[in-house]
Amino acid sequence: MARYGMAFDYKLCINCHACEVACKEENGIDLGAKNHRLWIKEEASVEGDFWNLKRKKAEFIQMQCQECEDAPCLKACPNGAIYKDENGIVRLHKERCDLSRTCMSACPYDARYVDQRDKVTDKCIFCADTRLSRGETTTACQITCPAKLRYFGDLDDPKSEISQVLKQREYFTLKPEAKTKPKLFYLK
Amino acid sequence: MKVIHTSRRRFLKGSVALSVYATSSFATLSTTTKTSTKTTKTVSYLCNMCRNKCAGFARVEKDFITKLNPNQYFPKSRNMLCPKGNSAIQAVYDEDRLKYPLIRIGKRGDGRYKKVTWDEAYEYIKDKLVKIIDEQKDNRSTVAYCNGEGFNKDEYIKFFGSKFGSTNFLDEGSICLNTKLGATSLTIGDVGEMDVAGSNFLIISGANRYESLITPDSVDMIHSKQKLVVLDPRCTITATKADEYLPLLPGTDLAFCLSMIYVAIKDELYDKSYVKEYFKDFDKLKKHILSEKYTPSWAESKTNIPAKKIKQITKEFFSSSNPLYYLGRRSVWSKNDFQLRRAMVLINALAGSINKKGGIIFGKPFVLKNEEVNEPLYANAKERFDLDEIVYGSQKGGSWLNFRDKVINKTSPYPIKAMFIRKHNLMQNMPNISKTKKMLEMMDLVVVLDTMPSDTAMMADVILPECTFLEREDMVVSFNRLEPSLALRNQVIKPLYESKSMQDILAGLGKKLSKPMFEVSAKYDEDLQDSIKELGKKKAFIEGGYDLSELYKNDISTRNKKLIVSQFGKKVYDSLKTKGIWHPYIDKQKELFNNYYQYYPEDKKFYTVKRKYKVKCYLKKLEKHGFDSLPTWRDSYDFKVSKDEFRLITGRYITTTQTATANNIMLKEFEEENHIWINSHDAKRLGIQKGDRVVVMSSISSIVIKAKPTNKIAPNVVWFSHGFGINSPQMTTSFAKGASDNEIIEDKFEKIYGCATMHETNVSIRKL
Repeated sequence: MARYGMAFDYKLCINCHACEVACKEENGIDLGAKNHRLWIKEEASVEGDFWNLKRKKAEFIQMQCQECEDAPCLKACPNGAIYKDENGIVRLHKERCDLSRTCMSACPYDARYVDQRDKVTDKCIFCADTRLSRGETTTACQITCPAKLRYFGDLDDPKSEISQVLKQREYFTLKPEAKTKPKLFYLK
Repeated sequence: MKVIHTSRRRFLKGSVALSVYATSSFATLSTTTKTSTKTTKTVSYLCNMCRNKCAGFARVEKDFITKLNPNQYFPKSRNMLCPKGNSAIQAVYDEDRLKYPLIRIGKRGDGRYKKVTWDEAYEYIKDKLVKIIDEQKDNRSTVAYCNGEGFNKDEYIKFFGSKFGSTNFLDEGSICLNTKLGATSLTIGDVGEMDVAGSNFLIISGANRYESLITPDSVDMIHSKQKLVVLDPRCTITATKADEYLPLLPGTDLAFCLSMIYVAIKDELYDKSYVKEYFKDFDKLKKHILSEKYTPSWAESKTNIPAKKIKQITKEFFSSSNPLYYLGRRSVWSKNDFQLRRAMVLINALAGSINKKGGIIFGKPFVLKNEEVNEPLYANAKERFDLDEIVYGSQKGGSWLNFRDKVINKTSPYPIKAMFIRKHNLMQNMPNISKTKKMLEMMDLVVVLDTMPSDTAMMADVILPECTFLEREDMVVSFNRLEPSLALRNQVIKPLYESKSMQDILAGLGKKLSKPMFEVSAKYDEDLQDSIKELGKKKAFIEGGYDLSELYKNDISTRNKKLIVSQFGKKVYDSLKTKGIWHPYIDKQKELFNNYYQYYPEDKKFYTVKRKYKVKCYLKKLEKHGFDSLPTWRDSYDFKVSKDEFRLITGRYITTTQTATANNIMLKEFEEENHIWINSHDAKRLGIQKGDRVVVMSSISSIVIKAKPTNKIAPNVVWFSHGFGINSPQMTTSFAKGASDNEIIEDKFEKIYGCATMHETNVSIRKL
């Protein structure tokens, strides 16, 4: 029993794609650029003419399921296919999913995609059925990251590194106005 | 072992390795992993997806590699794997891989081959070689051999150089960074290592460390609190992350450097006590720089970087405690490249940033003993010729463009009749592909050892399928100087199909060739004839070292064990077999945060070592050959393009390693094809919009590529990534996607190291 969350030291990201490949290899995600459990969004762009570029330091935002405490996808599913597991991770009873895609439209973060192989909607589940089920304590994206910017762990354990980091540093969550109470945190 | 003969990738399409199990027996696997080692094992290995050689652990389930994870013990790679490292599984299970020995039945380049046995392949090579060497009267150098970057290069040289006796070895150095290596060792007596982590003020000229990862440099840049200044004619991710980005015109970095030296000397910002103790001919440098008046305003006129900015950066650099002017790690751009790298080294030296934290350090690498080779002496083997007219050049890897010119123009002192090509995609890796094609067409025998049916493999008479790096053990390697370690590439799975390791291939070839080749020598080599008279044939053969497969009497595992145990002991060997790595603090290394480690304790890092050396400002040999013995700007270095022209510059995406990763199905997701960057205003003027197909034409050829108008590139400059435009239809994922830069880059080379200059081509562009 844990309450898993992730914190991103997001400014360190160089958009190298290591996390995306590691996720796909670990979790057997469909090939194809549009099929992904996680992706990187480029925030700042460079404006102006080349010799006088107005340059904000590039910022890349790590995007994936925000593991909402109050998950709109869970509520939206007409078949009761979406549930929270014992570690607070939003999961799917695959056999109950009929691809109505109501969860996809309900998600404010666009975190779900259609897994064409299993014909279900899929999203990041913190490697719950791969790494975590084998007793590993890191996610694929976290361990491979050159910047080591992804902190993953139990939010209920005050001694966990993620709890410590969230205590020491300021952070924000995405789309707070959606009132979803995400368990993903972006460190300022 | 389970060998998938049919299309594994088709089987895997829409999924990746693990999902094979996920659909069948995943549930069982996930429960047995923790308790049983029978179905799942973890093997340490070293990556080979680029030159870095990061360390990893492979998860192997029932002889399948299902996941690659980073290795926390390697100081160099800092417990990470990049996107390419993560996708190495796809290189192993690429259905296009070379699976069997093949002999050509069609015309060179048309891709028609027949499957043969290894013995048939060796037999074919032997017959051809005996004829060639006989015709050339035992001049072994008529067989040229080449090998790109990688661990087995030295082994390969031992076979074809030391044993077979050819002097004509070529490698990637002359299409890569020989000028940098040369400039550093000629100036401070050693190639050194750049301590990026220890630097608090870092200037990077052109190198794109966040889109072309070098370990540990790129990782250290992310984590250190240094000030980062980036100079580039293209606003790369490295540039967007920099504290200061100085856009400049291509090929003018030398002017910036000269001006930094000017300001440092003129304003006396340099480290006087260091200069006094270590510099040789500082007066000459001072006089030269001041009299040439390399002022910031002068440099502004060459680079387009404001004079004020140059002054400011110079002042900040020289007032920092640990400044580093990054020497780069990439191809040679311009004809002034050697002078540029020299100027960079001198800037570091003027700041006292040599043999010191945050500078160019000498450190203390582990030196591995060399296995002895009994080298035959071939009286008729002639010297290499590709370094004629080159001032220094690399005696090891030579000069590709000079070599190729001499072969195709028939100006070499003797003909080159055969080539053995390994892990070197000649048909894509150097400027002016049509010349490479011509060279290969002139050969009586072309043999390619590779894992993929590359454009070069399609020019081969015999293709010998090598296994990938995850299917073999390689000889132990010593890494790094600041935090030295030993690393071992362990075998993760057995070679798939009929592929073999290079050592096994050469062992087989050696066995087949030894006796017949010895007979050819006996016919022409008077020294050998004397030796036979004296010792008898059998003894002359053995004692003379003519058994070419002698090196491979023991397999790699046995050789590694013997070498490592005798030099470092059993404990080190065990560490290398299990962890893949050994360094003195491996049992005590400390996790600093979130799986990021400290390896050597701070006071044990080799920042400064005892060493006598001088900083040589003046290189007399250059003057003798009519070149500048001190870094000098020449008018011919000015950036010049006519009104309707563009300067073509090249580079690569973070997900590609030249053409080596071209066919990787996972990496293709990020860049299916390359696009040409063109300044938005230029594009507008030419009516070019995003995604338009454009014709790019140089003096040698033209290509068609899609356009990407952007404000991130200088006007009159265009850029596109190397590694695309594959011509081999056997490479089904990458065939005909995007365009190849070397199709249109003019084959010019600088004369100090004989390196191809990649950024000296002007092109015209029009919408198709």
